[in-house]
Amino acid sequence: MIPRSSSFSRQWSWPFGLAVLTMFGLLSALLGEGGIWWWLSWTALTMPLLVVARYWPLRRLFQRKSRS
Amino acid sequence: MFSRPVARTTTPGHAGGRLRKLQWVHKWSSIVCTTFLLIICVTGLPLIFAEEISDLLNPPHYAELPASAPRVNLDRLVAGARHLYPGQIVTSIFVDDDEPQVIISLAPSWADLKADPRSSRFVRFDGRTGTVLEQSKPPAQQRQTFLGLMIRLHVDLFAGLPGELFMGAMALLFVAAIVSGVVLYGSFTRKLSFGTVRAERSRRARWLDLHNLLGVVTLAWALVVGITGAMNELSTPLFALWQQTDVAAMVAPWKGKAPPDQIELSSVQAAFDTTQRALPEMTAISLTFPGGQLGSPHHYLLFTKGRTQLTGRLFSPVLIDARTGRLTAVVRMPWYLRALEISRPLHFGDYGGLPLKIIWALLDLVTIVVLGSGLYLWLGKRRRAPSEIGTQLDADIEVVELLEAAE
Repeated sequence: MIPRSSSFSRQWSWPFGLAVLTMFGLLSALLGEGGIWWWLSWTALTMPLLVVARYWPLRRLFQRKSRS
Repeated sequence: MFSRPVARTTTPGHAGGRLRKLQWVHKWSSIVCTTFLLIICVTGLPLIFAEEISDLLNPPHYAELPASAPRVNLDRLVAGARHLYPGQIVTSIFVDDDEPQVIISLAPSWADLKADPRSSRFVRFDGRTGTVLEQSKPPAQQRQTFLGLMIRLHVDLFAGLPGELFMGAMALLFVAAIVSGVVLYGSFTRKLSFGTVRAERSRRARWLDLHNLLGVVTLAWALVVGITGAMNELSTPLFALWQQTDVAAMVAPWKGKAPPDQIELSSVQAAFDTTQRALPEMTAISLTFPGGQLGSPHHYLLFTKGRTQLTGRLFSPVLIDARTGRLTAVVRMPWYLRALEISRPLHFGDYGGLPLKIIWALLDLVTIVVLGSGLYLWLGKRRRAPSEIGTQLDADIEVVELLEAAE
């Protein structure tokens, strides 16, 4: 049996990592004085959007049920 | 990817009951708030770019002057505004620190302004030349602007304070839906790799997977914008509370004295200069005349702000005796107004240039898809006849499958 911790981390590492990146992005632009902090913020906050773009099965979503 | 065993220690009935409770919370918090959240998300989209849109619709025209051009004495601008609106009282001055403009607001009286905010008039001056750039239109010619409409729909649905509190409650339900949704995500995806959208199964299953994925990916942003949105809706009662406690204590010694007439008022420019000397690190951007809902019947209330990215969002209010022009107090902002001030940028997304606004808009669009797919999943479940449940994958059945497999 795989220990619970392993399945837990497999399941939550992506959501947790993206949440940490989001919080970092939100705060770095607010607390940092422009420049590099804005770039870091834009980069961090783009990550969730990239994940959405990567996994969004646009073509298949609107097909009729494929299994019949 | 479905074959990985999952170790669980909870007893069967307990986990199922907890899950059902969470589903109930998720379902009902979502059902109540989704319609309003969709309105909020759709109207919020143009509001992210409010500054750009307003500059586009009304391009600001300023005389070409060197950056060092001196500012006109504010008392002269106040006199100019009074001349344009004889018989009205001046209620406030806004000295923009971003553009060279000074906006002076007037009203027939404080009582009229309170009874009908639309009785307010304004004159917009060029702060360096003293020329009038714009004047408020007479009431009959005032039209609802596009951005004004978006703000009202976004903030209070044209219902004033009750509307603000209602929309704040909707934001809190949205937060409850997110939190319960995250726990449900844990149950639904226990045996799936991250990002799985099971394209081979029914359309409902695909949308369920996508709803889960988009929801969990934008989780932190949606929580922050939801919580700060609820906080922003509390701004009216929070400022009223501050007025009744800290401000009231500060102006208590003046209680019972006759408030100054408009002709008795000391120089407005001097009030700005006194404030600037008292707080050299800050920039004074506004002044409210005595008698308004916020402040004191005997004082000018000035708001100053810092000059860095963060302190530019934090205001220090200053009270100046409106008769003598003497500094009465630099008022301490209580923690709840500080929290409100921090909530503004985190809700508006206006603190990291245009790229941050674009990111805000895209995350807003993703949230609209999460809301829409949630609605679709719920409506689809209701529309389906009971006999079909067995043949098509259903959200509840999926949970039960997962639980049974796990136990």
